[in-house]
Amino acid sequence: MSSGERGGWVGEDESARAAGLSAAARERIRGLSRLYDRRQSALIPALFVAQEEAGYLSPEALEAVAETLDLPLSEVTSVASFYTLFYLEPVGRHVIQLCTNLSCMICGCGDVARRMQEILGVGPGETTPDGRFTLRAVECLGACEEAPVMLVDEDRWPRLRPEALPGLLERYP
Amino acid sequence: MSDSILLRWTSEATRGLEGYRAAGGYQAARRALTELTPDQVIAMLADSGLRGKGGAGFPTGQKWKFIPREAPVKYVVVNADEGEPGTFKDRTLMEGCPHLLLEGIVIAAATIGARRAYIYLRREFHRCRHLLEEAIAEARRAGLIGDRLLGTEHSVEIVVHSGAGAYIAGEESALLESLEGRRALPRLRPPFPAQSGLYGKPTLVNNVETLCHVPAIVGLGPQRYKELGPPTLFSVSGAVRRPGVYELPLGVTLRTLIFDHAGGLAPGRRFKAAFPGGSSSTLLCESDLDVRLDYDSLRGAGSMMGSAAVIVLDDASDMVEVIARAVEFYRDESCGKCTPCREGTVWIGQILERILHGGGREEDLGLLESIAAGMTGTCFCPLGESVPPNLVLSLRRFREEYGRRLSGEARHGG
Amino acid sequence: MAAEASRRMIKLEIDGLEVAVPAGTTVYQAARAAGIDIPIFCYHDRMPPLGACRMCLVRVEKMPKLAASCTLEAADGMVVDTKGAEVVAAQRAVLELLLANHPLDCPICDKGGECPLQDQTFRYGPARSRFVETKRDFAKPIPLGPLLALDRERCIACWRCVRFGEIVAGDDALKGFARGFASEVGTPHAAPVESKFIGNTMAICPVGALTSRSYRFRARPWDNRPIPSTCTYCGVGCATWLDVRGGKIVRARAREAAGINDVWLCDLGFFGHDYVGSEERLRTPLVRRNGDLGEATWDEALGLLSAWLRYATEGGPGRVAFLGGRRLTNEDAFVAARLFGEVVGTPHLDHRVDAPSGSVGLDVRWGLCTTLKELGQADALVLVGCDITEEYPVVWLRIKAALDRGASLLVLHPGRVEVRRHAGSELVVEHGRLGEAVSLMAGAVEAARTPTLPPQHGAAGPGVGGGTWRDGIAGAAGLLSSSRRPHFIVGRLALDAPDGRATLEACARLSAACGGVVHVARGRGNDFGAQRFGLLPGDGGLDAGGILRAAAAGEIDLLYVAGCDPATAVSDREAWEAARRGVGLLVVHESFMSATAQAADVVLPTLVLPEKGGTVTNIEGRVLPLQPAVKGPGRARGDAEIFALVASRMGATITYGTSDELLDGMRAAVPELAVGEVLPPPPAPAPIGGGEPPAQEPPAQEQGLVLLRVDRLFAAGSMSGRCRGLAGVAGPPHCVVHPSDAARLGVEDGALVELAAGDALLAVVARVGDATLPGQVLLPRGYDALPVNGLPAGADGWTRVALRPLRPRTAPRAEGSP
Repeated sequence: MSSGERGGWVGEDESARAAGLSAAARERIRGLSRLYDRRQSALIPALFVAQEEAGYLSPEALEAVAETLDLPLSEVTSVASFYTLFYLEPVGRHVIQLCTNLSCMICGCGDVARRMQEILGVGPGETTPDGRFTLRAVECLGACEEAPVMLVDEDRWPRLRPEALPGLLERYP
Repeated sequence: MSDSILLRWTSEATRGLEGYRAAGGYQAARRALTELTPDQVIAMLADSGLRGKGGAGFPTGQKWKFIPREAPVKYVVVNADEGEPGTFKDRTLMEGCPHLLLEGIVIAAATIGARRAYIYLRREFHRCRHLLEEAIAEARRAGLIGDRLLGTEHSVEIVVHSGAGAYIAGEESALLESLEGRRALPRLRPPFPAQSGLYGKPTLVNNVETLCHVPAIVGLGPQRYKELGPPTLFSVSGAVRRPGVYELPLGVTLRTLIFDHAGGLAPGRRFKAAFPGGSSSTLLCESDLDVRLDYDSLRGAGSMMGSAAVIVLDDASDMVEVIARAVEFYRDESCGKCTPCREGTVWIGQILERILHGGGREEDLGLLESIAAGMTGTCFCPLGESVPPNLVLSLRRFREEYGRRLSGEARHGG
Repeated sequence: MAAEASRRMIKLEIDGLEVAVPAGTTVYQAARAAGIDIPIFCYHDRMPPLGACRMCLVRVEKMPKLAASCTLEAADGMVVDTKGAEVVAAQRAVLELLLANHPLDCPICDKGGECPLQDQTFRYGPARSRFVETKRDFAKPIPLGPLLALDRERCIACWRCVRFGEIVAGDDALKGFARGFASEVGTPHAAPVESKFIGNTMAICPVGALTSRSYRFRARPWDNRPIPSTCTYCGVGCATWLDVRGGKIVRARAREAAGINDVWLCDLGFFGHDYVGSEERLRTPLVRRNGDLGEATWDEALGLLSAWLRYATEGGPGRVAFLGGRRLTNEDAFVAARLFGEVVGTPHLDHRVDAPSGSVGLDVRWGLCTTLKELGQADALVLVGCDITEEYPVVWLRIKAALDRGASLLVLHPGRVEVRRHAGSELVVEHGRLGEAVSLMAGAVEAARTPTLPPQHGAAGPGVGGGTWRDGIAGAAGLLSSSRRPHFIVGRLALDAPDGRATLEACARLSAACGGVVHVARGRGNDFGAQRFGLLPGDGGLDAGGILRAAAAGEIDLLYVAGCDPATAVSDREAWEAARRGVGLLVVHESFMSATAQAADVVLPTLVLPEKGGTVTNIEGRVLPLQPAVKGPGRARGDAEIFALVASRMGATITYGTSDELLDGMRAAVPELAVGEVLPPPPAPAPIGGGEPPAQEPPAQEQGLVLLRVDRLFAAGSMSGRCRGLAGVAGPPHCVVHPSDAARLGVEDGALVELAAGDALLAVVARVGDATLPGQVLLPRGYDALPVNGLPAGADGWTRVALRPLRPRTAPRAEGSP
């Protein structure tokens, strides 16, 4: 399993990034819009492209997406703010999504969450001071047979036990 | 799983195109596209009795038939936004055998005459996304999708479209809004997607599992398919020893499913209740263990088939906590469009939270029932409507657990 | 709702009453038609139903649960109950939920007294709340720009404001953010809202969540006296209510006028009235003595004026000339025309002060040649050099409605305009080539095939919306070919350009080829009344440009100006100044110490339009009523009264006992005159020679940036500059430079730059954007502090400027801060 593909700005000059989004990312977004009969359909995929590149959806990144897809900034920002997987604030290098829904709750995610908070020293929705992890308590991840379960970036970790957490987190420098 | 018609595909051997074809994959698509007319395919679906597996249970054959034949532009949209708590069968199918879904999509698109299909996949299913994209590339190279696929007149492009974190996007009209790049707010219906769906064009929206049944129905014929159950995927999780997806005939009892298949409960534990079709279905209690898990029986028991996701609670679960957690889910996932859901879930959540933390008042229980009554039948879509039944059931069937909270006997988390 | 074709009648029963409504009617509308009141919040009858607030639930027999009556289409045989116990319980439940987190700060809320939430709670609500949790609380209202304040905790998430921006205005100004209980309306990152119609959202907000920053805490609605009036800014003639309290106009609201503004206004209409009560209004006549203007009595001023009139006319009536009309009523214009035409006897009258000499606008009649309603039913609309939301904003709302019904929009402009997102086809062409583009389209439509274009047109470039001329022309022609009757709206930017004649002629040709109609979107205020009531050159008379030239040549002794400010309005300031130097006496009717008034010898203080009775004529030629809302300051008088006084000093009588008598008098000149009706078009003005021959060649750009002077809705002129909020929305005087020129010239956004043409210099803030093209710099009119007519045109009619950065941007712009 790999943690998310980081496409985009490696090798691009600083000024392209300062303008919100690299030329390569803009080109990817334009490519995405060709998959749909209306370009606004590419908005959510485009926001992921922007988020992967910028780390989060900064105002500049949102503006760049709006400009590239020729959509109103108000609409782009409004849509981004609706979905939980778009980050309008900076996040850590790794995002932990710990499921706290029913099946995981029944299977002891409470203990896992408590241990996780002890280890990281932050609560749900917070980022560790070293910028390494952002911890999020999330709704059902659709992997209840593996409860308690979490995602770290794109990796799914099944049947969590509190005592296994330190070793597991070490894999994410 | 040897008799299974769906799960048999979810093995390493049939995950790739070569293995899938070697085991007979894409034969049904070939048959549907080259030997059968669209009407015949639709008739087979209708005869099979297949109903939507996403939760609403609408007869699939009818749904396909509603798509106007003459419309020049049509779409297939696959609802792969599996988010109903306790449900993971679609993920299992996609991770197990992405080509099974693609074959179902090809049959659907060719039958209704759509040239584009979108798989609206929840973002968290990263592995599914990678596997599907790989499988689409494989299938395109093999001429199974793309222009003039299988050497026929049909052309279908399949695009994997990521969701971005919103349970409501699993509701088909909200899904279409989201696919159009907007906030996932449910649309007013009618018009239904079959008339006016994606970009206002006729659109067939089907759940992943639903489409995965299609190759089997076309391949086996509706009679044989029905004799095999009809097969249904049950996601079983919670307080059972062997959680997982089980392919069993529709109508298996809750008891059989839990105790014969899912390994029963942990030693010394006692069954308390179960959601039979995801957290939006009304809880079944101990007295309901012999209820058959099919559409009519469950309706008769005051619940519903939903997504056939069985979440089992044993006596270690605190019902007030369970209900509070469920309400919290609907509160967090409420889109905010309509008043009862937006405001009601928060108010109920606040009261339950207060009760859990020792601040409950006797009159809160009546107030909860009253707020629940005010939300019942008044919400715009089913999301908000999911809250009252279990809240009210818990207030009636498990009132003593609330009582213990009010009297301070029970503490939060204890 | 349903298609017009299915106007079958539906019979249903509501609360025991038999109701018959046309098919497609909702149950809510059917109930309302039957006089049955159903409470609503999210529904607004100018937008499609949403079904979000759930306040309008009703019981329908045979339906499994309560239904939202606003979204439910009435069907034959339906039996509806709007008053039963179950319905009442649901209404109470929804209201209780809405009120749970509503602050109930009604005593200090501007909406108090006209608040639907308050009213519905009074009628349907629970008497007391069972909500004991902590209410949602936001400490402060958020200012979203200079006009709008948002109190988030009052919002009941009805989505009306958001949908207004999406559906009615098409500007997506306010949006929903976050979701669920955290849902909020607002702007991205609480930036100043970008809209020209935001006042409407305040009007339709069913609570006090969106309020006017200028009206906040100023009055309670029951203390206001509403006066029906007509907005006179752009000439669309929107119907308004002016709410008056203590002799001051405290706010303006839209008054429903089906054929004009429906129920909407633009923000100039909403917020453009504060100037009326300005302390800077002129209160007394001024007369120049020993070089300085000083206060005088009416008697002194009129005595001086009439002595000069007599002196001038002794040399011949043609030694007197009159300019103006935009800010006059029809009555004023009529009396002025009689004074100068009959009493003085001069033919030199013109209201078209801002049209460049020799421009095609002087040869055609200004205004629409159909009604606004008809325009709104068009199946294709073509904007040629017309930035519609800046120039005639409420016309855009009609166009937007037409687009929603399936009409297509084509935009040809030397830059990007706000409505481009809604255009089916957008052709961005350099200024000076609009006519060429239209000609090619005409050729394409005539040939009904893709035109054969010279090779250079095939290249991609800044030309056509990022594509090529060939694609753009073909696309546009295709769009026009499928229209039954396209409406061409040719704007001032196109008409006033040196190639305006070519553009207009090409439009006429294209329109003829596709069976369309051409509108001349020229004129503001009551220009349309002035042209119908006599303020045009008489036989042998000079037009405005001719008058200025004659004055400069010493052929005019007395120049009389009313209802306009030629010093800032004329296209060439030097021509005005030469005229001023050449005349013996300059008489000006003014309300403020405008640039013209400062140069005048006699300044007569006048009432402004909201203080006047009478009528004005709008862009359709429709006569609309005014009613004095407040009294004028000091000794200011109405223009017609002043003209009549002047006449009497000249020994003539132009007085009318009553306004009806005056109307009768006007009917002698315009027999069709009737308030509310459209006047027949006056004959097109006779072309007058004397101007330079129109240049056809696009301007060569190597000689500098081509200057485009443009109208902007928000600016800071003598009126708008004195309105709270509006000047803030307009921002400082500025020019717009294309990013590529900005990079080339080292100009960053917000920098101070100098524009130079000949010896003339102008220092302004530069904004970098794509409202213009490379090689062009855009300069908004309407700022009193920015004399855009001071930069002279070259011999070919184009103004070219050299742009030089003076200082970099020093501090971030403080837009939106309170």
